[in-house]
Order: sequence, then C-alpha cells, then structure tokens
Amino acid sequence: MSNAVTNSMLTALGKRLVSGSLSDASIMRATADTPDFAILPWANVVKIGGQSIMDRGRAALMPVVDEIVANLTRHKMILGTGAGTRARHIYSLAIDLGLPVGVLTVLGTAVAWQNAQMLQYLLARHGIAFLEPEGFPMLPHYLMERGAVICQGMPPYKLWEQNPDIGRIPPQRTDTGCFLIAEAHGARKMIYVKDEDGLFTADPKKDKHATFIPRISVQELLAKDLNDLVVERAVLEMMLNARQIREIQFVNGLKPGQLTAALDGEPVGTIIYNADAAPGRTI
Amino acid sequence: MSIASMAGTQHVVSPLMRESLMDRGVLARTETTVRHILPHLNVVQIGGLSIIDRGQSAVMPLLDEIVANQAEHTQVIGVGPGVRARHILSVGLDLGLPTGALATLAAKSSAQNAYMVSCLLASQGFVYLEAPFVVQLLPAMLAAARGAVFNGIPPYDLWEHPPAFGKIPPHGSDAGSYLVGEVFGARSVILIKDVDGVYSADPKTHPEATFIPDIRAADLMAMQLETLPLEPVVLELLTRSKLVKSIRVINGLVRGNLTKALAGEDEVGTVIRA
Repeated sequence: MSNAVTNSMLTALGKRLVSGSLSDASIMRATADTPDFAILPWANVVKIGGQSIMDRGRAALMPVVDEIVANLTRHKMILGTGAGTRARHIYSLAIDLGLPVGVLTVLGTAVAWQNAQMLQYLLARHGIAFLEPEGFPMLPHYLMERGAVICQGMPPYKLWEQNPDIGRIPPQRTDTGCFLIAEAHGARKMIYVKDEDGLFTADPKKDKHATFIPRISVQELLAKDLNDLVVERAVLEMMLNARQIREIQFVNGLKPGQLTAALDGEPVGTIIYNADAAPGRTI
Repeated sequence: MSIASMAGTQHVVSPLMRESLMDRGVLARTETTVRHILPHLNVVQIGGLSIIDRGQSAVMPLLDEIVANQAEHTQVIGVGPGVRARHILSVGLDLGLPTGALATLAAKSSAQNAYMVSCLLASQGFVYLEAPFVVQLLPAMLAAARGAVFNGIPPYDLWEHPPAFGKIPPHGSDAGSYLVGEVFGARSVILIKDVDGVYSADPKTHPEATFIPDIRAADLMAMQLETLPLEPVVLELLTRSKLVKSIRVINGLVRGNLTKALAGEDEVGTVIRA
C-alpha cells in the first residue's frame, strides 16, 4: 500500500516529495525554486496596538477608527488587534499558577479577541465584519464588499504554541500573527499602529539624545542584538525567511494622518526592510 | 488588583504592566516552574507515510498493541498525513501557494488519517478530537472515554512559520504531537515510524549507516544529517522544552516495541534528549 501515488502527472519535484523524506534537506531546498503566488496582493494588514492604542480608550482609538473609515473606499484593510494590559495581567497570574506557554496563548488570545470585538462594535455601522481564523475563506468577500475586515491578532496556535528562548511568555503574539496573515496572503503592506513615531536609538521617553531611525534593515537590527525591540523578535526572525513581505512599517496612531500616509505608500514612521534579495519569483 | 490610569493608558495592575514583553530582562523574570497538567499522559504519534499508508498489515497490529496497553498507560494518539499530503504539497507548490496555504491543505490529510484511526478504535472507547476540543475537552474525555485520537499536525494553518529553506510547512505531525506532550507535561512522547530509530544516514539507501540509540537534540542538530526519521524542527523544540525532556522514535512494524517504550525500557528505538 505504501507510496501508492505513482502518477506521471506529478512534477519532477512532486515525484521526489511523494517518494522521499520531507526532512530531506535537499528536497526542502528544491521547493525554494517554486514560484510565489500572492493570494490578496491588494490587501493591507494593519495591526492596531493593544496597550499602545486600544487600552487608551476613546481618546486614542476614535481618531484611528475615523481614519480607517476615511480609507475604506481607498484601501483594502485587514485589521488585526493586539492584546495589551489585560493580557499582561493574565500572563502574570497564569505564570504564578505554573501554567505552560500553550495555556498562556489560549488565555492571551481571548484578550486580543475582546479587542477585536470592541473594534468591530465601533465599525459595525460601516458594515465591517469580525472573522475568526476558521472564517478566513470569507475574507476576500468582505474586503471587496466593505473594504475592511477585523480579526484578532494572535495566531491560532492555542495549546500548540512553542516555548520561548527566554522565560514563559508566548513568543508568537499579535505582531507575529498579523505578520503571518500578511505573508500568507502576499499582502501589499504590513503596517503596525502603535503609540510611538517608530524606532529610536534609545527610549525617547527616557533619553533626550535618542535619535529617530526612519529606515533600517532587519539584518542590521538583529545584528545590534538589542535587549528590547519595537516588535516581537519572532517577526524579525520570520522576516528573514518570508518570501512575500519584504518590509514592515511602524506608525504613530496618536498622530492623525500617519496611517493614511503609510497606506498611500509614503515613508512615514519607521520601515524595517529585508536587505537580502527576494528568494522566489512572484506569479 | 485594580485599574491604574497612566500616560493616557488604562492599565490593569500586574507585574508586567507597562513593561515591554520584547525586553529580555522582563522575559527572564518570568522564568519559573511549570506545572504538569496531565502527568500520566503518553502521547503516541503514528506516522502517515511510514505506518498508515501501509494499510491493514501495519496499522492493525499496532492498534491492537495500543489497546492492550491503554489500561496501564493512558495514551492519546496523534496521526500523521502520509502520501496524500505529499501529493497536495506537490500540486500546491506547482501553483505557487505560500507555506501557510500548504499547511492548511496538508492538515486535512492527517485529519482524515486520524479520523480513520478513531473509527478503528471506536469499539474500544476512543474518540476523535479536533484542535478546539483538545483545548476544551481532552482531560474530560480521558476521564470519560478510554482514549483519544487527534490530528498530529498542529492547527497553525495560514499562520505556519515560513521555513528557512523552501516552502514546506516545518511543523508537521511530529512537532504537533511533541507540543501536545509538552503543554500537558506528558509522561512520554513516542514517535512511531517504520525504521528502528535514528541512523547516521537513511538505512533504506545506506546499508552502512550506524544506529544511534541515545543522543541529545543539540548534538543531533550539530551532525547536520541530510535526512532524519522525524521533523528537524522537533529537535529545536526539544532544546527549549520545560517538561518533556526526551522523546523516543521506534519502529511500529515490530510488535512489542510500543509496549517496551511505554514501559520505559531503554533498548527500544532512539531516545532524543533535550
């Protein structure tokens, strides 16, 4: 019964896949030469920060909502939400109770879900839907009909989240979840809306000599080996392997117009880009 | 516990409040003991290509052995995808689909195999649990039913990590089953294949290959073998494990191997340690 597929319709790579070991390094390398099809090349993934925007309430969130509404007819947006302060509370509590990383992911996902649901209440009158991961096949329909769709930013790893290198906090959270939505769909842009202008050489709240970094390569940023980062480390590591998303952009949601400028393709905020050549060819 | 309002943000007071969760110092402070949720659980992963695709002659004796051991050793059974996943990966790669799409598609092939295994074990009181039910119901099901079967491939779907080389989803059923063991703090994770364990090269094509009975994951990674009987990502995961400090790879075509592995006997298969 083994290896029952001996069909001459398979490609040369397909014949190797069917008969060989998927852990075979040469087969893995051979798949790198396959083309890359962008599923939603006109979609923009926009992540609304949890602690940085959502937890600030009306003063910060409503101007962002207004800006999203103003862009509905101009740009297609997949709106992901961060988790924020309630996640920090339940992570602290769950760590104290001795619960593993996978359980923390299940708990943190509920917080990002709450923020997505809140955002959807605010955008409901514009016909904007909230899709859970299981609903993603409906995503293109909502984007084409209404211009935007809301999802919670956490990847749906649930109990299958992996241990981090350091500590007990799930390493792949909402920055990573939104990045992977963009990568899997071959999206036009990945924009993070936070409460800073972007990346600085030091924390501008503590160091007045800190200078702004408008553009930096992911390779250069990782080489600095900083103890703290503007984005989850997993995003930077995945950028090195990503085949479709070549840059990510960070804008200040507390400054009206920055999100619109980023959607329009202007170099506002900080852009982290991949300095290596794209690995594949887009079809 | 209370709510604090600072710099425009409404915080819930907690030790992580206002901290950067990307800060290594903050992360290091979260390093504390993890509890074993289901310490008596044994996670048994049945290979797709290596066992299931062989049909009755390979599958039925193995299921008999699982049933014979279930009273003494509680097992949950992960199942891999096999040749149909290879086929859809081949077609999907030809179409240019991204890793996340390939992962979503391949996971359905292992779901089919897991469902078949659950049907074959149904009369023995085993149930099939999809990922959301593993989250909500696994402990209750193990109390109520005799055992459970789940899809070995983790529910990463579109959110699968882009691999370092090429486009094949790196987290297959070996990784998924390991992660189930790790999160529940299982007693053992056993990967069932059609080879005796890990060799210095593929024994099917290299008869001179030498057998490796016991090795650390980091050492096995350092050997940079061209091929392994398990997903390479499992070795990385093991280096970061908190609870499951070893996994065992055994040959499921040899009767008695699973029983020995469940009993904790050392002379069967290859042990890979964290």
